[in-house]
Amino acid sequence: MKALVIVGHGSHLSGDSSLPVFEHARRIRERYAEEYDEVVECFWKEEPSMRHVLDTVEAQDVYVVPAFISEGYFTQQVIPRELDLAGPVTCKGGKTVRYAGPLGTFEGMADVIMERAEDLLRHKRIRPGRWGLVLIGHGTDLNKSSGGVIYLNADRIKRRNVYDIVEVGFLDQDPGIGDVVGNIEAENIVLIPVFIAEGWHTRETIPEDLALTGEVTVKPSPSGYKTIFYGAPVGTHPSMADLIASRARETEVVRNVS
Amino acid sequence: MSETSPDTSVEVTNVAVASRVAFAAWVDEALDVRTFGQVLIRPSASGAYCLRHRDDAEAVNLTFYDKPWDAREIARLTESGQHRPLKSSPNLRRGWELRVSGTVALAVAMNYLYPAGIVHWYLYREGQLRITNYRENAARQSGIYKRVQHLSDEGVQNAAKACCEDAVCLKKTLWDVDPETTLEIDRGEGEIPCPEPCSVFVSFARRIRLFERETKRGLDAAGFSLSEKEDLAALVEAGAAGVIRLAREAEFEEPLNERRLRYRKLTLLPKLRTAQDASSHEC
Repeated sequence: MKALVIVGHGSHLSGDSSLPVFEHARRIRERYAEEYDEVVECFWKEEPSMRHVLDTVEAQDVYVVPAFISEGYFTQQVIPRELDLAGPVTCKGGKTVRYAGPLGTFEGMADVIMERAEDLLRHKRIRPGRWGLVLIGHGTDLNKSSGGVIYLNADRIKRRNVYDIVEVGFLDQDPGIGDVVGNIEAENIVLIPVFIAEGWHTRETIPEDLALTGEVTVKPSPSGYKTIFYGAPVGTHPSMADLIASRARETEVVRNVS
Repeated sequence: MSETSPDTSVEVTNVAVASRVAFAAWVDEALDVRTFGQVLIRPSASGAYCLRHRDDAEAVNLTFYDKPWDAREIARLTESGQHRPLKSSPNLRRGWELRVSGTVALAVAMNYLYPAGIVHWYLYREGQLRITNYRENAARQSGIYKRVQHLSDEGVQNAAKACCEDAVCLKKTLWDVDPETTLEIDRGEGEIPCPEPCSVFVSFARRIRLFERETKRGLDAAGFSLSEKEDLAALVEAGAAGVIRLAREAEFEEPLNERRLRYRKLTLLPKLRTAQDASSHEC
């Protein structure tokens, strides 16, 4: 028997944070019913806690996928500690637990970002001009590597030659989103937050910082008009469920190698 | 980290399977119904289970659900639409009936209503539930929660009284401050054991530690801290407006949070009473 455990951050204050994890779990149950006997959610700030979730899983083969964008404090420290994992593969309590990497570094992430952008532009009025894509990351000055995953995906998308310009902007580190969006030389700008869930930043701080009025904001610019298309966070896209399943499957390679 | 850790256990019981079977048997043995937390479970001869809120035992016109995963939707929000970070809080909404068939579906539903509840219930009954005391839990905290390691024993006691008793959490608290320091609280009468401080408690403990630091930094001439005065002011303002609207369940930075007010009842009220007594003697 096989089980997939999706680890989310969760929140004490709002259901927004855990919602995509529950939604992706539901999609995986439907789409991958032949592959997984159980699909279970667990959280840092909600229940079931990581500390206790493995006791609720009946399957012997367990695949743990963190619903986190970046490699960092949670994926490297908190999750292994709370799940009592010893490495990429841990044998404990009669179970073999395989631990996958975060979602943002996985090669399929760029596809989901592109899908999110395509969904955003569908049925929208498009003006002529150059196209720019801005990936928005949280970033932090405390950990320079946390923004690396945003640059990684920007580079992957640049190589596809779909957009004239692909840029990266952050909330809490340079370059800030205000400067990036203000200076980008494109008439059509697509903004995609590389976040796992909707929340305070995606609903309030980003629209406020950029003076956005909704999904589409038209602003005057020296060359005429700039149209800004603002997308939902990539983490809530339905295709993230497939990315999670692929991430879990990838851990089989670790087992076969070891 | 090594690539693969050795499994040194000789004989391993699959506790998820064992707890599912034992819980269903416990329900099946009931003459009529079983109550687990706020959920009433009625077994039928066909192997189906009918779940309701315990206060809806005789209710009619309930919203009907028939998939075990629907339990998540039932458990998600309170009656007034608030997020429920702690499923064992006594705020499960009413007005629903969930019918599931078989022990697996029953376990799935129960794990959404009371996450890990039936496995802890089973392990406790079998005498195998591992208890993690406060100090052990605090020792592994990191980041912004590392400071809970410095919470005093008295702070842990008061935090647990404010955060874990049946009025705010239906679990039976089994952990202590440490092996030598028993938690002196009303541990609760419910069926669901609590083997370890949960994340809501750790967050609350962090707030109580901030209060302790505030006290150490100094009180005003009357002996009150800044946050104590803030809480009293917020209560007076809300009362004068005619509506005391409580903050969200785990919004501990807000003065009108229920658990925070319960803590103030334990620590501020005695101070106020003492001050009141002293001034009446002076008169």
